[in-house]
Amino acid sequence: MDAAATETAAPGNGAPDYSGAGIDFERMGGPEMASAPQPVYKMLRDGAPILRMDNMVLLSKRADIDFTLRHPEIFSSNMDAVNIGNIRPMIPLQIDPPDHLKYRKILDPIFAPRQVAKLEEDVTALVQDLVSRFADRGECDFSAELAVPLPSQVFLTLLGLPLDDLATFIKMKDGIIRPEVFVGDDLEKAAAHRHETALQMYAYFERILDERERERRDDLLSQFLDAEIDGHKLSRNEILDVCFLFLIAGLDTVTSSLECFTAYLAQHPEHRQELVDDESLIPQAVEELLRWETPVTGIVRVALDETEIGGCTVHKGDMVAVMLGAANTDEAEYPDGDVVDFHRETNKHIAFGGGVHRCLGSHLARLELRVALREFHRRIPSYSIKDGVELEYTPNIRSIEHLPLVWESK
Amino acid sequence: VGVEVKVSVTRPPCTGHGRCYSLAPEVYGCDDEGYAVIENPEVPAGLEAQARLGAANCPEDAIVIEE
Repeated sequence: MDAAATETAAPGNGAPDYSGAGIDFERMGGPEMASAPQPVYKMLRDGAPILRMDNMVLLSKRADIDFTLRHPEIFSSNMDAVNIGNIRPMIPLQIDPPDHLKYRKILDPIFAPRQVAKLEEDVTALVQDLVSRFADRGECDFSAELAVPLPSQVFLTLLGLPLDDLATFIKMKDGIIRPEVFVGDDLEKAAAHRHETALQMYAYFERILDERERERRDDLLSQFLDAEIDGHKLSRNEILDVCFLFLIAGLDTVTSSLECFTAYLAQHPEHRQELVDDESLIPQAVEELLRWETPVTGIVRVALDETEIGGCTVHKGDMVAVMLGAANTDEAEYPDGDVVDFHRETNKHIAFGGGVHRCLGSHLARLELRVALREFHRRIPSYSIKDGVELEYTPNIRSIEHLPLVWESK
Repeated sequence: VGVEVKVSVTRPPCTGHGRCYSLAPEVYGCDDEGYAVIENPEVPAGLEAQARLGAANCPEDAIVIEE
């Protein structure tokens, strides 16, 4: 038994308790945690804001989470924190400062608002095309027909890959993010499937990079081949490790956000009507829905040294899981945090994480989310979830694999 | 002379969330990498509320307002 657990073993002696005595663990692992996690976050903040489970410490107060994310020198985002089948660290997420900054210097300008804004016209055309395919039908599966293809196609276009590769792409990212879909709940099989998929991803990008090596194009991969850090070109492995992260981080997160947002709007017609009546509210609505839904519920860091959070000893090698969704609904930050308000004056959510690893693609994600909400509601201002359908959310990254919507077609 | 408001931001803690320059573009700008820049640290009269709005919405608490 470790020191922290020993110290907290005797109740009533005034020593703080980090074991979660008094909270309902079943709610944490159950479907509510995926479909409607906000009350579960509250249970955690009230009953176990710092919760130790074996070698993991789970945080659900904004202040503790900020502290963790703002100290990468103690709480590392390296490969020990998350292993999803990759054989080298994903760049830049799994690189700690100071090297981290070198990669962000190259990547930040590509994903800065000024650059991203240039994509608005293309993204708009893409959404219009996808929506036009089902707008007159009176129903759609929002997931399969918009939420999944939109970020994947934006990504393919950005990297300069053929649209024919869409299915391959989606299969690769699903093989990493949710291997259970392919091999069931056996953890060993899942790990093997992830590893196998990872190797396929490296091989896929190797092949394309070979092509670009022979002939540059006007795309990101070509740009990476010529990019320099302190006079050195990026190595082939470095480029592969960036691509790996893009595929894992850039597709599923936007898909999940679109699904969570649309499910919310389908079930809250008064909020939806606000957007239909006034499109200029959409940017704020995106921020508020990011706060409330927080599609990426939590992220993990690993302690590089023994330290302490709120009195709880954290040992070297411990995992520290920060619940971003709990931070975003913490009443210490938002007195009315359980109210969804598109006119909220103060919203400093960390749905994109915080600290140096703040989501590189956040500005692109925002663009896709804003354009999708705008164009979808222009064509389909009123809709609901198909009768009798019970939405199923996936845990951790809150995706809704089938989101059937119906509306009155003209 | 009215109340003088000064505003500053440093990197880090600014990590480029972009909340300030989205909400209050007359006070906060954005460099080529997406990080906040302030061209005029002495907030012009009439823009004080904008300056405060940007600071209040910073997820990293990176903006300092002196009044």
